[in-house]
Amino acid sequence: GKDGGRIVCTVACSPSAYPHLSSSALDDIQADLTSLLHQTISHSSLHPSNLTILKSKKSWLLNLDVLVLSDAGNILDALFMASRAALWDTRVPRTRGVEYKAPTRKDTGKDKEDMNVDEDEHENAQKQSGFDTRVLPKATDFELPDYWDEGEVLDGRERWPVAITLNIESPTHFLDATAQEEAASPLKLLLAFSFHDGQPAVLQGMRMLGPGELTPSHLKELVKVGENYARELFVALNAKLKDEDVRRTQKARERFELHR
Amino acid sequence: MAQASFDRRRINGPEESHPPIFDDAENLFWTLGQSRKARNPTDIRPIFLQPGLIDQANGSAYVETERTKIACAVYGPRQSKNNAYNEKGKLNVEVKFAPFSCGHRKAPIRDAEDRSLAMAIHQALVPSVRLELLPKSTIDVFLTIIEADGMEGCIASGVVAASTALADAGVEMLGLVMSCASSIVGREIWLDPTEGEAQLAKGTLVLSCMPAVNTVTSVWQSGQMSLGEVSECMDACHERCTDIHFVVAQALRDHV
Repeated sequence: GKDGGRIVCTVACSPSAYPHLSSSALDDIQADLTSLLHQTISHSSLHPSNLTILKSKKSWLLNLDVLVLSDAGNILDALFMASRAALWDTRVPRTRGVEYKAPTRKDTGKDKEDMNVDEDEHENAQKQSGFDTRVLPKATDFELPDYWDEGEVLDGRERWPVAITLNIESPTHFLDATAQEEAASPLKLLLAFSFHDGQPAVLQGMRMLGPGELTPSHLKELVKVGENYARELFVALNAKLKDEDVRRTQKARERFELHR
Repeated sequence: MAQASFDRRRINGPEESHPPIFDDAENLFWTLGQSRKARNPTDIRPIFLQPGLIDQANGSAYVETERTKIACAVYGPRQSKNNAYNEKGKLNVEVKFAPFSCGHRKAPIRDAEDRSLAMAIHQALVPSVRLELLPKSTIDVFLTIIEADGMEGCIASGVVAASTALADAGVEMLGLVMSCASSIVGREIWLDPTEGEAQLAKGTLVLSCMPAVNTVTSVWQSGQMSLGEVSECMDACHERCTDIHFVVAQALRDHV
């Protein structure tokens, strides 16, 4: 695998979400949503740092798969919200490097198997102490001491972007369009913002979608306005995710208490 | 594994093969604080533009900027194959990467990258073409990328090529659409990044606009950019687009 790990995002659309489209048109929508999500989320600026298992040998591949079951408009905001929630939740299993060492045998070895083994181990311990940091152990494989939902949290979970789609009906705009509203107002501006604690907002992705044009000044204004909307969305989503975290740990604790 | 053609009668080649790795002559060893190699940050690569490349098409253009080479052909307006009545015409953009265009060989099948590039170019062109004058018609724009130097460069040059080809075909438009790519490397804005430069950048932005009417038709931004940087990039791209527009208009005038 690539050093540092990889993230691959795919979006699958169920035909029930778009009953009026043929299967090739459905594939096209799938490809568009996939490329949009993938290009934003797997960009190197958002890459988490704890996806490496063994440096330059093994790393984790994170697959983010989104399934659209029903689309009533504003699908892009929902996609990014869902991705953010899923990535917030993600845990990377802890690994332990494993090194394979072939035991060395003394030339004048004794015949008794068990005694040989003991001697050899003792021999090894003298030759290469575990505390010897001059020779770094070269781990070639890894094992998982964690199972199920344990493990460390995916790094950089604060940074995952939040998207807001502004439907533009010059000179105004509106948010969260239903399907009919989208059909009536096809020009959209998709803005994906990432908020780090205490730092100003950063734009992670911007696309103009749909037929229509904007003056440069109007575009800049929309970006500013979009940041405020995105910030509100970010705060609300974070509150919900934190609530969920608390609820889970509390529930787990209560369950543990019950079973004691 | 059993799928591989294990022909017992013949000597089989290796199952997997990899392209050879060449020693890159221009090593992009860039560190923070170094200036851009070979160009100024606000310089774009010189554009070679030739309309009328393909005789059998209604309009065509060939664009070459250092390592990006794109040929574009426009067929239309012609009758839609669809029996349904459309009061506005349709603009159909298809992009094809030649198998030898990128570093690794691209199989000739149509894949997601082709489509995403086609959608980006379509997004940039559609506001400029007067489709309401062409009911029941389709305009086909076919782009062939002979050599690609990064996605942003392809989008920018593709839009320029397509717009020139549409003008060459005599399709009614509100204005020529020009496009420029930019990237933020360190703290500087580098215009028209090559593939290597785009990978170094923390964010890239491609702006497509119509300088004649002063409107923006498409923005494609990816990576991390602060709002101030976005604004600066858009301004820089917009300025360059006006310059490119001059070049394209001149080329079209000379060709006619």
